[in-house]
Amino acid sequence: MKKKDFLFLLLGLGLTSSVALAATVKVVTQEAIIRGDKRFFAPAVARAPYGSVLQEQSREGDWLRVTYQGKQGWIHVSAIQEQKFQLSSLAGGQAQETSHDEVALAGKGFTPEVEKAFREKNPKMRYDLVNQVQSYKVDEQKIQAFLQAGNLKEPGGGQ
Amino acid sequence: MKKRYLSILIIVLFSLALVASCAEVVQVGTTIGQGMGQISPEDKESIDRLAAQTAKAARPMTDEEEYYVGRAVGATILGQYRLYANGRLTSYVNMVGQAAVLASDRPFTYGGYHVAILDTEEVNALSCPGGMIFITRGMLQRVNNEDELAAVLAHEVAHVNHKDGLAAIQKSRWVEAVSLLGSEAARKVGGAQFTQLVSIFQGSVDDVMKTLLVNGYGREQESAADLSALTFLHSLGYNPDALIDFLERLTKEQTRAPGPGVFKTHPGMSERIVSARSLISKNQWPRKEDPGRDRRFREMRI
Repeated sequence: MKKKDFLFLLLGLGLTSSVALAATVKVVTQEAIIRGDKRFFAPAVARAPYGSVLQEQSREGDWLRVTYQGKQGWIHVSAIQEQKFQLSSLAGGQAQETSHDEVALAGKGFTPEVEKAFREKNPKMRYDLVNQVQSYKVDEQKIQAFLQAGNLKEPGGGQ
Repeated sequence: MKKRYLSILIIVLFSLALVASCAEVVQVGTTIGQGMGQISPEDKESIDRLAAQTAKAARPMTDEEEYYVGRAVGATILGQYRLYANGRLTSYVNMVGQAAVLASDRPFTYGGYHVAILDTEEVNALSCPGGMIFITRGMLQRVNNEDELAAVLAHEVAHVNHKDGLAAIQKSRWVEAVSLLGSEAARKVGGAQFTQLVSIFQGSVDDVMKTLLVNGYGREQESAADLSALTFLHSLGYNPDALIDFLERLTKEQTRAPGPGVFKTHPGMSERIVSARSLISKNQWPRKEDPGRDRRFREMRI
């Protein structure tokens, strides 16, 4: 094989390979609640902070059955990111982030430091009010009661 | 013999390619290739760098980055409008908003969804990337019942789901940001590259603001948000027709509404109504009204 052919082979392989190995998933919300059943309001089994690695057991619709710190439960697919298999160590190199690994990219793009510098440049921005808005929380029991009183359904199979 | 090794290498790389990312497979390949004397160390370095750059340039914004853009957009809006100080009403709109969120395709985001009321007569509703949603007092005065309120909020949740706010950011900005992110220097607070990153962040926020308050989303984005909203309403048990009722009334009132607001940024109302009606009729979704919801809406005395 000519050197040029070899280079093309490598690039071709690289460009066509992006299938994830779904053995572990990572939490991509500030805090995710792992629940005892595949419903939004099922009792919480564990709380996993951003970046926590969960072992995926199975998947049903939008819900993944996972194990976290020895506890089994369910998490919604929008709260996690699938992990990609890390090959770098096989090549004798340092372990590297995968290109789309949300958690590995944390702290490398638009970060709290960027926000801080932006705020200093724009003192009229009302981040104090943003914090106030983001502190609005809807109590789970209240929303369940709200749905029930309004003759509404809990989406995703809940009662 | 060399041919045999190469065949093995190809099989191994194909197998690895099934489970790994582009840049990593290339790196394994170049390491093996260098070991076999097929490529020089210089070639390896340049191929690895090219693969890494290609992979990084293709990466989308993370949920966490979206969250920080959304906070900045929210902080800009709240620099221009006051928050409406009515705890009971704010709690109510958050309940309705959360219901829409649960029915949505993306019920969890990095920082979650929060609804706030802007104290203005302007008629508008806006969503920031990541899930902060604003509805104006003027808009609240124009919804006739809870189902119409749910329709407006579901439409905004759909924009967050579809990442329409992020789509307003000029592609060249994000490409530039991503190219900077590979370097350690960009993470060094106060350095030239970090300052450049902050400036890209500023530009991205400006792009989103311009779309939210001046240009509006494209008709296709608005229509897609309507169609998602109808699905959310139906799966919750809200009346999907509420969206049409509201859009029709809003169109009639268009000339009387003050300020820039929804009419400038939400074009093509009649096409949207036709498209929404077509989805409802295709699915044969019935009108579902509920006296309990109407009662609690009236009790809010909006």
